[in-house]
Amino acid sequence: MRTTRPYIVALIVFGVAAFLPLMLSKYYLHMAILVLLWAFLATAWNILGGYGGQHSLGNGLFMGIGAYGAAYLVLTWNISPWLSMGIFFIVAGLAGAFVGYLTFRYGLKGAYFALVTIALTEAAVYVTSNWTALGANNGLSLPIAQSNNFAMLQFTSETGYFYVILVLTLLIMMFTIWLASRRFGYRLISVRENEDAAEALGVGTMSTKMWAIMLSAALTAVGGVFYIVLYNYVNPRSVFGEAVSVQILLYAIVGGLGTVWGPLVGAAILVPVSEIVRGSSLGQQLQGAYLLTYGVILVLTMLFMPTGIVGVAKSIRRRLGGRAPEGPPAGVTPGEPQTELSEQDGAAL
Amino acid sequence: MSHLLELENVTRVFGGLTAVNDLTFHLDQGEVVGLIGPNGAGKTTTFNLISGADKPSSGTVRFKGAVVSGLKAHQVCMRGLTRTFQVVQPFPDMTALENVMVGAFARYRSRQAAEEKAHAVLERIGMQRKAAALGRDLTLLELKRLEIGKALATEPELLLLDEVAAGLTPVEIDDILDLVRKLNGEGMSLLVVEHVMKVIMSLSDRIVVLNFGLKIAEGTPKEIASHRAVLDAYLGEEGYVA
Repeated sequence: MRTTRPYIVALIVFGVAAFLPLMLSKYYLHMAILVLLWAFLATAWNILGGYGGQHSLGNGLFMGIGAYGAAYLVLTWNISPWLSMGIFFIVAGLAGAFVGYLTFRYGLKGAYFALVTIALTEAAVYVTSNWTALGANNGLSLPIAQSNNFAMLQFTSETGYFYVILVLTLLIMMFTIWLASRRFGYRLISVRENEDAAEALGVGTMSTKMWAIMLSAALTAVGGVFYIVLYNYVNPRSVFGEAVSVQILLYAIVGGLGTVWGPLVGAAILVPVSEIVRGSSLGQQLQGAYLLTYGVILVLTMLFMPTGIVGVAKSIRRRLGGRAPEGPPAGVTPGEPQTELSEQDGAAL
Repeated sequence: MSHLLELENVTRVFGGLTAVNDLTFHLDQGEVVGLIGPNGAGKTTTFNLISGADKPSSGTVRFKGAVVSGLKAHQVCMRGLTRTFQVVQPFPDMTALENVMVGAFARYRSRQAAEEKAHAVLERIGMQRKAAALGRDLTLLELKRLEIGKALATEPELLLLDEVAAGLTPVEIDDILDLVRKLNGEGMSLLVVEHVMKVIMSLSDRIVVLNFGLKIAEGTPKEIASHRAVLDAYLGEEGYVA
């Protein structure tokens, strides 16, 4: 029962969210789509970053592979973005393997790992800016949908996009629940917690990190494919720019690193904030004001709740539940320590 | 004929420093061998060389007859040789149960089997009550026990204990010693590095003494206690240091 509960909770939450298109205006529905898309990307990042403790600052690289790749295939051979999700899942997985091999093999961790991922993503900006088949500086744009076409992932209204990303995000969250409860998940967390100790207990830390970065990269590319069908436009800075990669990890950090719900909670709070700031008079006068807001939120989070919103909620629950070893019996309040003590004594005897 | 663990002319050089110099010794099934020596004698380096955390510059380490020097630490562990660390290395954000489960996953693929194994190990090391406590919230004694528990969960045939008594009070030391003796009583072979003489003398079947990376003596605790070179090394008498 304990193992199925997280899945059921996810199904219920997303089931309720499925009614949002009936309640929200076009503007807010679009915002909901963005929340889900960034939650998807942050959840993919969270596999390596949150559970594995390897903070990539360049997940835009994998997102861009999905976005550019899908756009190119639609424009050149009219290949369905659905198929592209599969194709670039594999391509980005291999790219992740390349980045992982490059860094983990030499034991790069922390800031050094992050720097390499920044450098590679920045390199992608220059590569794509000079790649004429990918539109160089202008990027690629897809024709605007004239009619609903599920096979090509084209919709005339927000509702279609909403349901696609709703299902994708539900799937990636259920995948995370599943992954974290298996041997691989425990081993991945042990690598984050203490690599030497993990290695001594039979955990192949190199292969564990390699699988994590490959999964994280592959799933990020799926998000990238959705990005291109949603916006119909991609250019070098819109995916490989540092703002994108920072946003991805920001949602996960603010929401709660290494938690299933953290990325969604982080995105649900911060995406609307950025949209509001962008729409405000400050945002109109000062381009990038939303990034400034993010910076402030990130600093405050790191200072006052480094485990993120979900992390804080968890530790509060742990503290409340931790009063009595077997869980407090109903009706026993902290004001009645006598009862609690005698129960413990009884158990000890 | 073959020993459980065999070191043959093992040498480890760090730049100009020879940390372990031509070390040869062995350990048999069911035996407790103590490894002692003054600070910097090469005990922990020897541990690293056996457990796969480090590779010898020359010489070989054999476990169950097969060469293990050159394997990664996790591969050595999978073959049945697990170590603990001198400075405890818990997974701070995992519960005691989860800490032990990571070890158990070395032998069990399914989560349920690993969890059962981990519960059994916690029971064994007297930590069942702390199963749900986070690694970061445990006391040093509990962490020392957990350190052994994590290693036990990998079901080792040979357990390497690096200073399990360090930092503990005399009462706590007795407590940990009881546990270690019980393990050996059940047939587990142990290689023990220890600073606390009382521990090593009462625990070991044989003792290997290192000084400046060289083996200067080997014998039963009794023999070692009266060994001239050992006394020199520990008391710093003139004439020994070459």
